[in-house]
Amino acid sequence: MNYKKHPKRMIRATLLAICFAVASAHSDVVVVVSASSPVTELSKNQISKIFLGKSRRFPDGSRAVPLNQSEGNSARDAFYMQVSGKSPSQVKAHWTKLIFTGRGQPPKEAANGDAVKDLLANNGVNIGYIDQAAVDDSVKIVAIK
Amino acid sequence: MTTQLKAKTDQQEPSTKALPLTIQSSARQESPHSKQSYVQIAFFMVVIAALAVLWTVTFRLIDNEVASARKNAANAVSTLILTYEAQVVRAIREIDQSLNVVKRGYELTPGQAILALAEDSGLLLPDFLFLTNVTDANGNITSSTRSFEKANIADQSYFQEQLEFDHLAVSSPWQDPYNKAWKLTFSRRINTPSGTFAGIVFTSVDASYFVSGYEVAQFGQHGVLGILGTDGVFRTRRSGETITSGELADYALLVPDSDEVEDQEVRLLTNSWDQVKRYTLATKLYDVPLAVILGLSEEEQLAASAQLRQLYLQRAAGASIIILMLAAVMFSLSRQLQRSRQRIMDEQFTHAKQVEHLAYHDSLTGLPNRSLFSELLRQGIAESKRYDRRFALLFLDLDRFKIINDTLGHDVGDELLIEVAKRLSDTLRETDTVARLGGDEFVVLLPEMNDEKQLSEVARKILSTVGEPFHLSGQDLRITVSIGISAFPLDGEDEQTLVKNADIAMYHAKEGGKNNFSFYSEELNTDSLERLALESSLRLALEREEFTLFYQEKYNLSSKEVTGAEALLRWKHPTLGLVLPMQFLPLAEETGLIIPIGKWVIETACRQAIDWLEQGLPPRCISVNLTARQFSDAHLIGDIARILQTTGLDPVQLELEISENILLSDFDKNIEVLTRIKALGVRIAIDNFGTSYTSLSTLEQFQFDSLKIDGSVIRDVTKEPENRHLTEAIISVGRAMAVTIVAEGVETQEQAEFLLASSCDQVQGFYYDKPSPIKKPQ
Repeated sequence: MNYKKHPKRMIRATLLAICFAVASAHSDVVVVVSASSPVTELSKNQISKIFLGKSRRFPDGSRAVPLNQSEGNSARDAFYMQVSGKSPSQVKAHWTKLIFTGRGQPPKEAANGDAVKDLLANNGVNIGYIDQAAVDDSVKIVAIK
Repeated sequence: MTTQLKAKTDQQEPSTKALPLTIQSSARQESPHSKQSYVQIAFFMVVIAALAVLWTVTFRLIDNEVASARKNAANAVSTLILTYEAQVVRAIREIDQSLNVVKRGYELTPGQAILALAEDSGLLLPDFLFLTNVTDANGNITSSTRSFEKANIADQSYFQEQLEFDHLAVSSPWQDPYNKAWKLTFSRRINTPSGTFAGIVFTSVDASYFVSGYEVAQFGQHGVLGILGTDGVFRTRRSGETITSGELADYALLVPDSDEVEDQEVRLLTNSWDQVKRYTLATKLYDVPLAVILGLSEEEQLAASAQLRQLYLQRAAGASIIILMLAAVMFSLSRQLQRSRQRIMDEQFTHAKQVEHLAYHDSLTGLPNRSLFSELLRQGIAESKRYDRRFALLFLDLDRFKIINDTLGHDVGDELLIEVAKRLSDTLRETDTVARLGGDEFVVLLPEMNDEKQLSEVARKILSTVGEPFHLSGQDLRITVSIGISAFPLDGEDEQTLVKNADIAMYHAKEGGKNNFSFYSEELNTDSLERLALESSLRLALEREEFTLFYQEKYNLSSKEVTGAEALLRWKHPTLGLVLPMQFLPLAEETGLIIPIGKWVIETACRQAIDWLEQGLPPRCISVNLTARQFSDAHLIGDIARILQTTGLDPVQLELEISENILLSDFDKNIEVLTRIKALGVRIAIDNFGTSYTSLSTLEQFQFDSLKIDGSVIRDVTKEPENRHLTEAIISVGRAMAVTIVAEGVETQEQAEFLLASSCDQVQGFYYDKPSPIKKPQ
């Protein structure tokens, strides 16, 4: 393909690439569980419930322990926006209320994606989120319904 | 109402005398009216009562709703504050626990990185909410759960506090210079093993953390949830989504001393910080210088009941309108009903008036009738007795009315009565009463009058008014009236006597020649009694065969032979003896008894004539007198024809004598009757000739056979030249007309000689023959 001969095609390809880039910027956080976990897919709502302290179990009844990345981490903000539509401050307000009223404690925090992967590898009941790029064999991506 | 009705009646019936028997309308008209107004008042009271009940119930319901809403709000406040207190106490305890963990760690193992260790062990509160720092004894921050700049907090009040005390200290709210968020700091002192001050551990948290449990659904937009320090500074306060810190409030007012007040009451207070009226309750926390405060906005809590109140009011208003409309409809229906009732009553009343009028008035003339007159007279008597007044009663009877009625027909008779009634009413005063008793009898009541002179004037006025010619059905009529007058109280003090005496006086007037008036007197009464006795026995005389005929013969002057006889009626009264015709004939004429009596006379006379023939006497003519009444009797011709047929007498032998003055009363009709009598073959004689100055030309028009010169003319024929000339003239005229001349009442020889000399045909009188029952043939 000769771009010089077909400048229009080149522009189209460039635009397409930009579009992909934008799309991937939104979808580069994936929900992961231990490679050994039986969990394969969850709905956004189920994930949201587990991470907002409204549910402590997977749909199959086994225990679910969510792992957060620490505050200010971009993956964290992106994740909550994606699964629950809540901004960081809304999430904070949510947990403030839950903690104050004694109805729950926020998920345990890991410093970053790698820390999450470490914790997942060690414990089958955990569930977390990491950049898609960081996915490796130790974890399994949970399909979102 | 009553006067109006009366006035109306008067307008409708101007000629009618005021009725004494007017139906008593006032009671009937007024009582339903007042009854109706009572009903209306009761009706209004019921409507008002219904409205009062409706609104009372409505306001009671609203009050109940509001009261229950207030109670609910107060209950909610006292329940909610228990939960809130528990949450705050637990949150503070959690903070204190994490502070104590760090404090104890530093005290037990000085110099170690206890804070990091505790955090890693999960012994600290979530770091995205809570920031925990540790300082040395000089206030320099030595470690933190976040990355931090070197800082000294020795000037902070809570640091100063920890220098002195070893307890949980709560700071005043302070504002984060970075994100402007209000913060609270909780701190504890760290001691050296020897007990001296080694520094503090403190945790800062968003003040809003303590009001994060605020639910709009529970507290509304204007509720309040907050923590107030005993220093009167709000650590945090939330209303709706608005969260503030640092305001001042009257702690003593909001949090009564719990030592004094056992169970705190929820109070309705206007909160000083935002001027909202709330159900407010505050509770002092144990061991920390804080109190929780909770309030629910009155307006919000009562919104539902206010809405309900609005609804109730609208419904009550609607119901009121419906009640009022129903009432209006019922009221108008009742009004209509009442009006139609009133109309029916009015109709009945009018009808009753009409019936009354018919019952008390003469339908022909519209004058009061006998019943009403009788009533008026009774009242007049009663009033006159009471006020010592006088009045007079006039009894009127039209002369010859019966003849007019019989000859001209009832229609003319009725018209005449109407006209007479009108004239009487017009002539008399307003206060006088004219009534018609029936037939041709009228009565007049003259109040305040019994002076003979005045009464005579009135009577004369009536005579002249009635005497004016009437123009009825195309002919002129003259009628006269006879008036009898009785006065109260002189001539009677009761109704019957007064009427009877006026009647008697009237008969006296009639006997005195009619067209006259007469006052009642005692003597009249006696005469009248005789008359009454006479009348009743006269009625029975025919049945009892008390009548008989006398005969007086007529002689032919030239041949000296009996030519005939005049039949003369006599009444053999069982007690009075023989009664002469002049005594009873006027009565018989007046009562109409003359008709059957007359028939009997003709028939008896005819039979006598036959009898004479059978006795072998030569045929002689029998004369019978006809009275005026008989002459105008429609059946006269038929009766004569029948008598002639049954007796078999030759008509030529019957002569009917008719008085001259009768013939002149209704000329045309009399000619016709005479012609018809003549057609039967019967002879006709004109009787009492010479008394009425009948012209000869008039005489010529009648068909008659003989002329009888009246006895009054013959009586003085030898003394008065006038009578002689008259007699001679009559005889010569009779000769010229070829009729037989008969002289009546011949009593002396001189008279007989004069008549013979004058060539009179026949004579009759005492000189020749006295009337006797039956003549023996000579």
